[in-house]
Amino acid sequence: MMLARVADSLYWLGRYIERAEHLSRLSSVMLNATLDQTDSGAHAVRIAMAAVGDPADGVDVGSFEAAEALVLDRSDTNSVVSSLARARENARQVRDQITTETWERLNLLYLKVTDDKAGKEFSDGSANFLHDVIADLHLFKGAADTTMSHGESWRFMMLGIYMERAQLVSRLLEVCFAESPVHGHVDDHVALVSVLRMACALEPYLRVYTAEIEPRHILEFLVFDEDFPRSIRFATAQIEQHLSAMARNAFTGERPGPERLAGRLKARLQFADVDELEAVGAGPLLTTVVNECARIHEAIYETFVAYPLETRLPA
Amino acid sequence: MRIHVADVESGAHGGGYTLESGTARAHRSAPKVMRNVDKSVAAKTQTLVDAPTLPMTEAAYLPGIAYDEMFTPEGEVRPHYDPLHGRMSTLGAEELAGRQRTLERSFLLQGITFTVYGADNTTERVMPTDLFPRIIPAAEWSKIEAGLAQRLQALNLFLADIYGDQQILMDGVVPRELVLGAPSYRREMQHVYVPHKAYANVCGSDLIRCQDGQFAVLEDNLRVPSGVSYMLANRDAAKRTFPGTYRAAGVRPVERYPDLLLATLKSMAADWRGDPQVVVLTPGVYNSAYYEHAYLARLMGVPLVEGRDLVVHENMVYMRTTTGIRRVDVIYRRVDDDFIDPLTFRRDSSLGAAGLFNAYRAGNVVICNAPGTGVADDKAVYAYVPDIIRYYLGEDAILPNIETFLCREPRQLGHVLDNLDKYVVKAVGASGGYGMLVGPHASQKERDDFAQAIKADPDNYIAQPTIQLSTAPCLVDGRIEPRHVDLRPFILSGEKTIVTPGALTRVALKRGSLVVNSSQGGGSKDTWVLAEENGQTNGHGNGSARP
Repeated sequence: MMLARVADSLYWLGRYIERAEHLSRLSSVMLNATLDQTDSGAHAVRIAMAAVGDPADGVDVGSFEAAEALVLDRSDTNSVVSSLARARENARQVRDQITTETWERLNLLYLKVTDDKAGKEFSDGSANFLHDVIADLHLFKGAADTTMSHGESWRFMMLGIYMERAQLVSRLLEVCFAESPVHGHVDDHVALVSVLRMACALEPYLRVYTAEIEPRHILEFLVFDEDFPRSIRFATAQIEQHLSAMARNAFTGERPGPERLAGRLKARLQFADVDELEAVGAGPLLTTVVNECARIHEAIYETFVAYPLETRLPA
Repeated sequence: MRIHVADVESGAHGGGYTLESGTARAHRSAPKVMRNVDKSVAAKTQTLVDAPTLPMTEAAYLPGIAYDEMFTPEGEVRPHYDPLHGRMSTLGAEELAGRQRTLERSFLLQGITFTVYGADNTTERVMPTDLFPRIIPAAEWSKIEAGLAQRLQALNLFLADIYGDQQILMDGVVPRELVLGAPSYRREMQHVYVPHKAYANVCGSDLIRCQDGQFAVLEDNLRVPSGVSYMLANRDAAKRTFPGTYRAAGVRPVERYPDLLLATLKSMAADWRGDPQVVVLTPGVYNSAYYEHAYLARLMGVPLVEGRDLVVHENMVYMRTTTGIRRVDVIYRRVDDDFIDPLTFRRDSSLGAAGLFNAYRAGNVVICNAPGTGVADDKAVYAYVPDIIRYYLGEDAILPNIETFLCREPRQLGHVLDNLDKYVVKAVGASGGYGMLVGPHASQKERDDFAQAIKADPDNYIAQPTIQLSTAPCLVDGRIEPRHVDLRPFILSGEKTIVTPGALTRVALKRGSLVVNSSQGGGSKDTWVLAEENGQTNGHGNGSARP
């Protein structure tokens, strides 16, 4: 049993944590790619900026300024610092639900990125700064995993993390591989490596496919891999698992519950393969994933958070 | 409560205070106060610029005329401070500063902060905390304990009476119009059944130690007193800062407060509700005491709800959960009376739940503290508390009041007007240091103006003499100096009355200042209540129960 408002906060806590991590990684890869004076670097910047929804930016202002804005701009609601501030605000709302160990990790990180010295630290060593932010977010997830009860509170947070992850990875792959007149296909080696890095997938990928970096294999790995925690299939399976665990107690109305929607998406990814994807292009499947995630999100709200009271009053 | 006084020019001497009611609602930042210590004081107290590393010497530590918690007027260390004094004198300035930094960092990390809203950005500050504990010997504490339990018992009986048959008003012990005319009197509470007659389930009284060393009650807080989380956090920190000294001193534990609070709240639920659902009701994350609300909910293991989580249906209170709505039995509310139910009290409030009060009247939910308890900590009613104790319990008050003059009484009004330069005069209904005159520090014109205001509405004013708070050693800028302190113990009252063997000691961190409020540059320190004295324990480990 937990308050609906608390479930909402925990879910968004998870989403913002995942978003902050993804944005930090994009910035880090982007800055790293531009160190080499090649076209591939510029290409990586375009991919990163498109993946966060700013296709026009990044090229004109220079990648450092773009990365700095992506990380530290408090007026941009889609920056790392804003995501962390919102994650912490949500954590504060549910301070009684998360363990002190978990809270301290997030609070410490928040204090670091909002400190007056953060701007200077970033310009002195952006790679180190971003590395530390990502490491701190991993510590947060580890603390949550090892200190919180894996009950409803934890499940809502994990649900937020995997929902956000499925959408972010889909978006990244859409930008790279879906048919699009603006960007074209990515086939340059350096750019492809950057894409893998943005999904934190380079090392696991190499272990499966060796250093032969092929768009087909990247798609296969990031969409269909069963074990890699950032593949869309893995994220969907997690979403389905957490939702069916919670659905046991949930109220079932007339409409399909979120666990059914998640199960359908999971099955679809389970039985599709990369040949099919190549035949029709990655676009339709990735669009389906994004749309289905949005439907699952709405269904979560209708079932657990913003349900109409009339249906739940005692007879 | 907020003790308020202008920075006192004569150094550690003199000063007045005023009091007002104590819900932590202010977000104001601490005003910056210039250090205008005059030269004679500076010469007396700040001669240590080129002192050796030991941060305290006899020359540096001059308590002044106030009672000092650690030193006798002759400069001897009081026996119960021996272990701490021994430890303090072995630590150098560097070491102390390091421990102070560790302490502050741990508070920041835990989020024990209050929010300061500025023009362009919002910052969070740590509640300033002093690392030296304030120590109270067992014998003194047993008097405080008995006095507080007696006082709360009488005040609960008083509340039961005035919201019942009003016998005390019939007998003329307390003036009828004083009670029924008080803004905190809630007509809606008339004849509402309150289990165990426990109206104020959580009480945080403010005590001060006068110059003669005796404790006196400055104010009772029966509405939504806060600060208990600081008491627990300070204890946690003190154990890490002075572990050896803590062990050697024999300090009574305060850690049971959350489960005693839960037991108190559960004892308020109706007998037929098997396992009552308790919740903490908070105004939300922007309230300056939010940390405490979340802290107590977490340590009690009960949901922390906001008004928007509650639903009232057919006079039952429910909360919205992920699996539907669920019945609520006891609400420990940290929201003021005015805001708990827009249908009964303030209509523009969205902090409570519509219909909550009717559910309470119907006996389907318990609100703790009961609405309307504020009438018993009213500044004017305060003056009658010794009479109230005598009326209901047939006993003399164990803890004295501060002498208080009611301007509503013509004889007392005349006395106050003739001696405005000696008194602190306060408006009964005002708070935040407004509507107040500190006689000894006011100009003749200010006093004349204030006299006009008093004459125009004498019912609204009370006067009290200026009183020195006692001082205790604090670490300030790397040196150990005396600072004024008060004492806020917490008393629980449900089926039983329990005085927690500890307290929040609030500190006026500015030299000579008597302002202990956190919004005005006040801090806090841990309070050690000793379990034994001269080798004799006083028995119980956790609070004494008084039926």
